[in-house]
Amino acid sequence: MIELDFVTILYCGAIGLLLIGAAGLVMCNNLFRMLLALVIAEAGVNLLLILAGYRGGATAPILGFGPAGAPMVDPVPQVLVLTAIVIGVGVQALAVAVMVRVYRAYGTLDVRELKTRFEFEVAAEQGIEPPGSTEGPAGGRPLSPVPPRPQHGEARP
Amino acid sequence: MSNVILPVVLPLLAAFLMQPLARLSAGVARLAGPLVLLAGLVLLLQLWFAPQSAPFTVALGGFAPPLGIVFHVDQLALLFAMAVPLFTLFFWDWSASGGDDTQGRARQDALMLLLAASATGLALSGDLFNIYVFYELMAVASFGLVSLRGTGPAQIATVRYLLLSAFGSVLALTGIAILYAQTGTLNLAQLGQLAPATLQGPAGLAAFALMLVGFGVKAELFPVNTWVPEVYATAPARIAGLLAGLISKLAVLVVVRLLVVVYQDTGAAQLMLVLGTLTILFGEFAAWRARDFPRMIGFSSIGQLGIVFIAFSIPGPWGLLAGLAVALHHLLIKSALFSLANRWSGSLERLAGGARSAPVAAGLFVLLALSLIGVPPLPGFWTKILVLAGLAQEGSGLHLTALGAILLVTAIEANYLFRFATTLYRKSDSPPAAPGRRDVGAAALIGVVIVVLTLQIDPVGDKLRDVAREAADRDGYISTVYPSAQARAGREVSG
Repeated sequence: MIELDFVTILYCGAIGLLLIGAAGLVMCNNLFRMLLALVIAEAGVNLLLILAGYRGGATAPILGFGPAGAPMVDPVPQVLVLTAIVIGVGVQALAVAVMVRVYRAYGTLDVRELKTRFEFEVAAEQGIEPPGSTEGPAGGRPLSPVPPRPQHGEARP
Repeated sequence: MSNVILPVVLPLLAAFLMQPLARLSAGVARLAGPLVLLAGLVLLLQLWFAPQSAPFTVALGGFAPPLGIVFHVDQLALLFAMAVPLFTLFFWDWSASGGDDTQGRARQDALMLLLAASATGLALSGDLFNIYVFYELMAVASFGLVSLRGTGPAQIATVRYLLLSAFGSVLALTGIAILYAQTGTLNLAQLGQLAPATLQGPAGLAAFALMLVGFGVKAELFPVNTWVPEVYATAPARIAGLLAGLISKLAVLVVVRLLVVVYQDTGAAQLMLVLGTLTILFGEFAAWRARDFPRMIGFSSIGQLGIVFIAFSIPGPWGLLAGLAVALHHLLIKSALFSLANRWSGSLERLAGGARSAPVAAGLFVLLALSLIGVPPLPGFWTKILVLAGLAQEGSGLHLTALGAILLVTAIEANYLFRFATTLYRKSDSPPAAPGRRDVGAAALIGVVIVVLTLQIDPVGDKLRDVAREAADRDGYISTVYPSAQARAGREVSG
């Protein structure tokens, strides 16, 4: 009974980590925090996978590790998690590398500010009207109020 | 027959050897990529035209499924696997400007090969574990490719695309974890055997929803496609074309395999139908609103993928036929449009008078646009009529809503494509630079294919019907992987 409760708590923890990660990704406005949220979500899903192959009281799935004939946990999810961790670390390292470049170019990691400057630079490059607001609908609303445009060369500290 | 793994292994090997090779000899390194892809294409073509074309499986490393990993080779898999080297070559950077920057050139070629290898693997794979790994590999290669220009906006687009895509992978992996917890296997055929007993409940459906949204990031599915306009506005048009045309279709293929083999006769198709309907509405309205050419065709590709999802959600061989037709048609058209966009970037207004400086390219655009809208003799018409007829046959409220949505967006599509066509043919004092001869040549090649398809629609349709019938046969899929299917059906499931 205690065994079961322990596993249930772990399941709740895994799903909780996933939800925290998802919420962080949606709610954070800093690219690096979004990455950290992603790391948390990945930890959650890895835990979930390990739990999928878990058996109470079993040993690690290595021949000769436990007593002969003892139950072992399922090795397949463990292999999958190992792969997922490696891939995750690689992707996160790549993300940090690109973020360093973004920070060097713009001096900020704030998503809203980067988005505004992105829209302006792309609009300038493509030769189209810069968007009045990244939140509002684009295109010609004849009576729309003119929103204040952000200053260009200025970076937020 | 086991040389079917070579189209995956060879590009992978070449990708990793590209850097040292470029140090030894720049010329050899530049030739290596196309040669490897060509070799893979020839191998796959041999399999396609082999006299006995029954589906077969290859157990990698000689380990039997379900623990071993299998490649499942049927006509559907081969069709998409062949498209990979073909379109990678189509979008290969043939420009001769690599002389001064050998290392950068080798890096780019290595990424393209990595993308081709993982995409081929994705098409052939018959195991969720492998599908996940190849999908991630494809994602990493595409991150490198979309940041290729190295400008500030390109970096921003890359990092946002990366975060969204990685979150999609987390969702897909969660779905896979639920599937494993329910069934204790990751082999698609075995999942198909166990599905009727274990995956009918809400947990099974939740797993499908998670995987649909997770893999849907690459397939430009509705809630997770915010990366599309950013990436297509900043990445080189070649890469955008590759992502919109080829890579999205492979992500769709994964979902379709899951739907057909594991989730037949469940609510999964309805879910896909709803998301597909939202996707076309979002994509086409955004395309209508777009003010620059790359983003216009980027949004329109979201819309087209919505139709692909709707088509595949129609049950039975009819849905597969319709989905296959729409997907392949879009693959052709979008590839050609993006190769025109290579030089025709920038606002729609700036391209006014483009027909004067580049009459062939403008004519091609009109042909492609007509087929995309679905004007009768062109193949686009037949693909759309297949989808509409399938939806009408089903006849439920959701299906009829989707039907209405498709008709509505067709009108929108016609509006913005014709608007751009008239802009091209308008008089202008400063007509834009003509697209490069190579780009126009590539687009013309596809234009010729479209015309040939128009004339040969019957045999092509019969062949596709054949492919669809084989792919829709779930029992056939299972018995190909397990010739003695019943013996292994109940592998013990841990609680």
